[in-house]
Order: sequence, then structure tokens, then C-alpha cells
Amino acid sequence: MSFSRSRAFFFAAVALSACGPKEKVVKIAVAVPLTGDMGTEGQGIRRAVELAVEQANAAKRFPYKLAAAPYDDRADPKEAVNVANLIASDRQVVAVIGPYNSGCAIPAGKVYARAPVAMISPTATNPEVTVQQLSKDWIGPRVVFRVAPTDDVQSAYAAEYIFRRLGKRRMAVLHDKTPYGQGLAEQFQKAFGALGGRILSVDGISVGDKDFKALLTRIKADSGRPEGLYFGGLYAEAGLLLKQMRELGLDDPFVFVSGDGAKTPTLFDVSGDAADGAYFSIFGVPVEELPGAGRFVADYKARWGAQSLKPFDHFGYEAAQIIFDALERSGPDRERVLAQLRQTRHQGVLGLTVFDEKGDTLNKIVSMTRARAKDRSFQMVR
Amino acid sequence: MLVQQLLNALTLGAIYALIALGYTLVYGILAMINFAHSEVLMLGAFAAWALAGWAPAALGSGLWGAAGLLAAGMLGAGLVNVLIERLAYRRLRRAPRLAPLISAIGVSIVLQNAVFLWVSTQSLAFPQPAGTSAVSFLGASINGLQLAILGAALGLMILLHLFIARTRMGRAMRACADDLEAAKLMGVNADFVIAVTFFVGGALGGAAGVLYGMNYGSIKYNMGFLPGIKAFTAAVLGGIGSVRGAVLGGFLLGFLEVLAAGYIPNGAQWRDVVAFAALILVLLARPSGLLGERAAQKV
Repeated sequence: MSFSRSRAFFFAAVALSACGPKEKVVKIAVAVPLTGDMGTEGQGIRRAVELAVEQANAAKRFPYKLAAAPYDDRADPKEAVNVANLIASDRQVVAVIGPYNSGCAIPAGKVYARAPVAMISPTATNPEVTVQQLSKDWIGPRVVFRVAPTDDVQSAYAAEYIFRRLGKRRMAVLHDKTPYGQGLAEQFQKAFGALGGRILSVDGISVGDKDFKALLTRIKADSGRPEGLYFGGLYAEAGLLLKQMRELGLDDPFVFVSGDGAKTPTLFDVSGDAADGAYFSIFGVPVEELPGAGRFVADYKARWGAQSLKPFDHFGYEAAQIIFDALERSGPDRERVLAQLRQTRHQGVLGLTVFDEKGDTLNKIVSMTRARAKDRSFQMVR
Repeated sequence: MLVQQLLNALTLGAIYALIALGYTLVYGILAMINFAHSEVLMLGAFAAWALAGWAPAALGSGLWGAAGLLAAGMLGAGLVNVLIERLAYRRLRRAPRLAPLISAIGVSIVLQNAVFLWVSTQSLAFPQPAGTSAVSFLGASINGLQLAILGAALGLMILLHLFIARTRMGRAMRACADDLEAAKLMGVNADFVIAVTFFVGGALGGAAGVLYGMNYGSIKYNMGFLPGIKAFTAAVLGGIGSVRGAVLGGFLLGFLEVLAAGYIPNGAQWRDVVAFAALILVLLARPSGLLGERAAQKV
């Protein structure tokens, strides 16, 4: 992996801007994984932001031309920092949408703060992403915002759902040792324990591991008789876990519950039918259930095709709209955009977005979905 | 739980052992580590995947289909390995030791990126033969797939043993491993023997790639890295250059990993630490591995 694609994009962008027309261009950077296992979701967010930019240009919303500048961080924290440095040094960029992963958003946020340039993560849910800005070691202003509610909200909801709706009292917990997965798992343990449930075991696995049979065999044989498994992590490992669980005979009524990072149709490529009936908490509600999102879904499908809509695209679109609002009030200047973002009151596809002093959205809706293998979909359950 | 864990360990160990054989065969003759072996195994899996996508109906979903995939993976990986030897290693046979090593790492990166850029950057679904449902036996849920994987791996190991011990070509390989120059003087066509060795080693790696893909149901451009590095460890653990050592090392590593993940509370995250700590201890006591030759240094 010697040559970075994002750098190729960067050089191409520089070359184009050098010989293009003299019209003023203002860029919104999109720093998400465009390749690798998370590439599907990242590409969806990129398409959503490009759609928003095209619409704004077509409506002549600004006296200059807007452009989306995509960068590939490969869901790799090191690459996310490289990309953040590239973006920070491009003076045409007024704000950043991304990163996708909490593990990337935490170190990248530090780079953007030094620039300073505002960053809105559409999807990073570890509390630390914004909380780190309150630390006294933080250099620069507070620049990190997000439109996704944090893991504590999501896990608390999942714990309550498992405890009250599904009536489970004894759970085993697994996580992938990333800030996202571990954060989700720790918050879940806290919430489930507070309700009076018992956590029988907590184990960490590594991203990229393939064999969980030894671990699952131990969980199955646990003398505390676990009634389900909560997993904090992403779809590749979740799919393998589901598949190997079923192979070991951990079937219904043993439940598998995970978070939004595992909830993507690509899960079924890994798990096959084994995912059927598994539960996934998500922030927000599925885009089909959002009253304000019908127009977005129709426009997106018209622009990119009916099959191209991914689970987090409306969050990317919303982040772009919030930046446009701020741009309208401030003009294309990084620091004034940042100041205006703090004053955000945006009514859009997600409902009303207002940021608290950390940069977290006050719109904290979480819901539960259930996988259905026959049409590779996730159905909302109440 | 014990029966189930034994089966888990055997399946994992069998796959490690198959890959380790590829390292050890090449090392036995050329005293070089073929670091591109993990990519050979990945390409074997992709060759089988391509065949499955091209002719799904002809293959069917039963055991014969799986055997067809295995054959395709072995043939593809074997040929790739021969090609790698011809293009990247042969001219370096007399070069300083570092040169073929770096060349191997280069080949590995090139192959991985070629698949990354041209085939897919994401996990791809790999066909699993039917009959993967679990059957209960002595409290363990034995699944047909695990048994088939174990059977295929053991069968290949026995075939390899017979090939090396009983055939003319096997004898030539042993002669080259003993002393390449002397074998040449006795009229052995060393280039051909080395090419055959790379083919056999690659084919075993390809078989491991296909079995790995079947076991986990998905493949990816970087799928070879982790099992490759672990199987290399297994080969060293058993004594690199020794065929029996590679098999022993593979199963040992499988058992160590399963023991750590299955019996130590909170042990899953310590799995690799336990396995590699054991490796260090073994090497400290026996620097040339469990079954390695004492007079290890080849010139």
C-alpha cells in the first residue's frame, strides 16, 4: 500500500485548480474511508455531500462555486491524520465532513483544531471525539461537531431494549478494542448493570480476526448461562461472529445485539443467512422513517441510482446543509464559519439540530432494528 | 466443551500446518523465506472464487463443488508461486541473502495491491459447501464443514508425505535440500526441482486459502497476512526446513490459540500474546525449533 489514493486526488485537485477558470472555488472536504471494508459507507457519504453541493450550485445559493473534495482515510487513524494535514493546508477548504470512524475522528480532530478548521463528523459516536476538546491539553479552539448521538445514548437504549422488551437478564459482552467498539461495550455494561442485569464475561477481539470459535465455545459453556451476546464493533467481525455462533448451535432464543457500525447490507456478504434475527441499535431512525427525508431520498436515488443509498448518507447530507447555513451567514472564511456553526439551529432531514457546548447534537434519537436475511434489510422494531 | 474446543483447535491447526508446509519446503531447498507465500494463499482463494463466479452451476454446492474449488485454488496458487520464483527469485539465487528476502517482500506488496486495485477493496462472499448445519455429538456441535476441512488438510499432508518419500521427484527434492550443488553434479535438474517445489508449496498454500475462505465464508485482499505470519511462526516453532516440524508447529499453534481464547478468562485478547510467548520460550530452549536439524546453518 505504497501510493495513497487520497494523495492522488490531492494532486489532481491542485492540477485542476491551477489551470481551471478563474471563478472562485470554495471547498468542503469529505474525509471518510473510500476503500477498504468501510469504503461502501464512506462512498455513500461522499455521494450525499456531492449531491448537496450540486444542488447548492444549481440553485446559485452562493456567489462563488462550491466543490466537494473527497479524501480517503481508509478507516485508518494514521491515514486520517495524514489526510487531515493535507486538508488543513488547503486554504480553499472552509470546513470538513468526516471522519467516519471514532478511531480516526479523535486524532484528526486535534489536527483540525490547530488549523483551525471546523469538522462535522456524520457518524463518529465515541464520546471522547468531542469530550477531548474540554481537556486542558487541547491546542486550538473547539472545532469538532457531530450530528450523530454518542455511544452512551445508543448503548443505554440497547441495554434497556434487551432488558425490558426482550426480557434478557444475563449477557456476554465482546468488543473489538477500537474506541468505537470498546466505548459501545463499556457503556452497555454500565447501563445493563444499572438496570439489574448481569454481565457474565467481557472479551476483546482484534479487527481482522477470523476465528472466534474458541471464544464462542467458552461463552456457550459459561455456567452463568448467558442469554445473549452484545458486540461492540463493525460488520466484518459481527458477520463472522454470527456465522460461527450459529455453527456452534447458539441459536434463538440466544440473541445477538450490536450497534450501528455493524448494521449495513454488506454484513450479509460475510454472515449469509446467519444474521437473520440479530438486533442492531442505530442512532436516528432508518431514513425511510424520517418525515423530513423523503425529498432527500428521492433526489439521491435520482442522482446516484436506486441501489446506492447507504445507511449513513442522510447524516452526511445533513452535515453539508449545516455547513451551508453557516457559510450563508459568515462568508467563505474558516474562522467565521466555525463561529457560525456554534450558533446552528438547523431544521433538516434529521429534524432540529442544535449543538451543545462540546459540539454534540441535542437531537438524540436512537432506535432498534432487526436483520432480515431474505432481502438483506433491517426492519425497525419497537 | 472440551470436544468442541479440540475440534476448533484441529481445524485451525490444520490450516496453519498447510500454510507452514509451503514456507518450510521452500526454505528446505533454498534457505530463503518466501514472504510472498501469504499472497500466494490469498491468490489461491481468489482463483477459486473467480471460478465459482464464472461457473456456479457446473460446480454445484455439494462436496464435489468444494473439491473443484480446492483444485482450482491449488492449481492457481501453484502456478503463481512458480512464476514468482522464475521472475523474482531465480536470478537472485547466488545474491547476498538479503536480496531475495527483500524481493519476496516486494512481490508480496505488489500482489496485494494488484488485488486491492483491480479486484476488490472489500470482503467478498466465498461459497461454502452445503451441509454446514451443526450436528450434536458428545456435547459438541460438529459441523460438516469443519470435518471436511480437517479431512482435506490431513489428506493433503499424507499425499505430500508420500510424494516426498516415495517418488523419484520426491527423492530429487530431498537431494536438493541436502546439498544443492552435489545434487546438480549427480545430474539432478535443479531448476526443475526447485520449480516443482514452489508449485507444491504454492498449491498447499492455495488449498489453505480455499479452506480458510470456506471456513469463514469471506475473502479479502489482505486475508493472507495474518495466517501467513502465524504459519511462518508455526514453521519456525516446528523447525523450519522440516516437513514434520511444520505440521507439528501448525497444530501446536492452533492448540495454543484455542487454549488461550477458550480457557483463560478474558483470554481472547491475550490469544496472540500467549501463542507468541510460547514461541519465544521454545526458541530459547531449542533455537532450531522442535524438530529442526541441529546443524542448521546452510551455506
